[in-house]
Amino acid sequence: MTEIRKILDVKDLRVHFFTDEGVVKAIDGVDMFVESGKTLCLVGESGCGKSVTCRAFLGIVQPPGKIVSGDILFYHNDEVINIAKLPPKGKKVRSIRGKEISMIFQEPMTSLSPMYTVGNQIIENITLHTELSKEEARERAIHLLDQVKIPNPGRLVDEYPFRLSGGMRQRAMIAMALSCNPNMLIADEPTTALDVTTQAQILDLMLALQDEYGMALLFITHDLGVVAEIADEVAVMYLGKIVERADADTVFNSPKHPYTQALLRSIPKIAMKREELDPIKGMVPNPFRRPDGCNFNPRCPYAMNVCRERVPGISHVDANHTVSCWLYEQDAVEEKAGA
Amino acid sequence: MSERKNTNEIYTPLAMRDADTLLEVNNLKMHFPITEGLVARVKGYNRAVDDVSFHIKKGETLGLVGESGCGKTTVGRCIVRSYQPTDGQILYHNTVDEIVDLAALDRKEVKPYRKDVRMIFQDPYSSLNPRMTVFEVISEVLKVNKLANQSEMEDKVEYILQRVGLRPEYIKRYPHAFSGGERQRIGIARALITNPSLVVCDEAVSALDVSIRAQILNLLEALQNDFQLTYLFISHDLSVIRHICNRVVVMYVGKVVEIASGLDIYTDPKHPYTEALMSAVPVSNPRARNKGTRIHLAGEVADPSNPPSGCYFHPRCRYAQEICSQEAPLLRDLGGEHCVACHFAEELDLVGVRMV
Repeated sequence: MTEIRKILDVKDLRVHFFTDEGVVKAIDGVDMFVESGKTLCLVGESGCGKSVTCRAFLGIVQPPGKIVSGDILFYHNDEVINIAKLPPKGKKVRSIRGKEISMIFQEPMTSLSPMYTVGNQIIENITLHTELSKEEARERAIHLLDQVKIPNPGRLVDEYPFRLSGGMRQRAMIAMALSCNPNMLIADEPTTALDVTTQAQILDLMLALQDEYGMALLFITHDLGVVAEIADEVAVMYLGKIVERADADTVFNSPKHPYTQALLRSIPKIAMKREELDPIKGMVPNPFRRPDGCNFNPRCPYAMNVCRERVPGISHVDANHTVSCWLYEQDAVEEKAGA
Repeated sequence: MSERKNTNEIYTPLAMRDADTLLEVNNLKMHFPITEGLVARVKGYNRAVDDVSFHIKKGETLGLVGESGCGKTTVGRCIVRSYQPTDGQILYHNTVDEIVDLAALDRKEVKPYRKDVRMIFQDPYSSLNPRMTVFEVISEVLKVNKLANQSEMEDKVEYILQRVGLRPEYIKRYPHAFSGGERQRIGIARALITNPSLVVCDEAVSALDVSIRAQILNLLEALQNDFQLTYLFISHDLSVIRHICNRVVVMYVGKVVEIASGLDIYTDPKHPYTEALMSAVPVSNPRARNKGTRIHLAGEVADPSNPPSGCYFHPRCRYAQEICSQEAPLLRDLGGEHCVACHFAEELDLVGVRMV
């Protein structure tokens, strides 16, 4: 594995959807970074903006959505490319998409075209981004299918997706995503539609391939069990903002943000004594009517006056642990006053 | 359904294992014909459910788990009689202390039991008719079965809405005005409006977000206490099953492989498939990562229309021996209500989930 370096740096990203009913601020000031060779899990409930975030990284936010401000800096061969500023249909972003940064989608049933064979779809990506001839690309496709442990790849390369099971389709998707040795792989809920046994196979496969290719893995999921299983680092999202980020052990064993704490209390745990679940009170607010101040304040057990008025900044708990909550800003303020 | 015998003609007194049992499923089979060509010639059968037996005690929550395609939903649908089972018995202990075989009743005869055995569906979006108001959705069953007049219906619907945590003022709204969690509450209200004794929850919380899922699980538990409900909880999510169920039935390709109490099935599995299933469940703490100890199942789930010989699990089983490919193991009781269908259940030393 090569040394760990930042390959993606996101600064104050905002993606808004301009609908007939009003503006939905799907992503509202996200700061994050992704490092090579590491697995970053982006967790949150549906509608929190995790899928939109990674779509923005590839410049494939669907209308009426639009990146309104912020930077997505992609470090590539000593070059810094700001994906947020590139035209989404331009040549430059298309040379990154599928080659440097590739993506695996949730639904293995709908993300492969039913009109083309599995091989055709992988070969298309290879010939588009590399100099390989069609025959060489086919060889590579078969090699990739073998690498993702598809049995009999020489035959399956000519099969249509409907002939494959869900797990096999997801493997084919992974083979396609890896076909150009990407620097970064974005996986948007890749195992949510799969059974547990298949999920375990796919997760192990992805981690093994990551070790081999040394790529960064940005893994999006709502399943905290999966996060605990594979993450090096975890970023927790709530309503278009990252509320907490730390290494996996810290997030699960000493979470700081009230939302992270509540989320962990609300999941049933297989390896523990049964006890009543402690759900997060209330519901995710209407996207058109976000609360003032901190987004979480109407559901937060510790909400103070300042939470209802002003948006909290980012506080450092320690070097690798950031949290966006007034509880900790207050601490920081008092500490400074004390010193 | 040409295979079906008419059991009504042969009079045999029906009996259950004991008075505590609410529902007893005996040798249930549901085979779907696979047809070919214009005249729909039957070329084979998809044995979705093949010889399934288990029972549900009054007031308990029985979990039914397995991978997709194992027949767990089909079992649920046979019990609510959405399907006419191909063979077998579904003995139900009704409210007037009689025992009836739901599987042997025809469409008309089964009608009185529709209010006793209700179902909660997985998808809160597609399971509510968008053209019906909340009141119409919930009261439809009362109207169809003539269980209440208009004013009684309104009272009942308002009462049940309150019990599931919705405001009675919402009665005239349409489903689109509600979030996923609220819709699922409407689905629960619809199931409970007839005061049922058994509720089949088919993946009732699978489509919900974690925080909402906890609310609905707590609600289901509270309602169970209040209304003395019995649940058949069908799910692929083993953490949820662990949380809510007293006993668990594990299915694989249309057959029951193991039945045990909610704790035993996790800590002391006796069937190699259960062991593999448990080892695949992600544990929600990075400190408990089971790197290297996970059991990798080779191959794919067997095809129910063309299952392997002997034990259906033998091609993927790491303990398989010669007998496994020749003889199908029967489900047998190991004592303490722990039933397993494996030739080597006593000899194998299987690993379960380690409790923290």
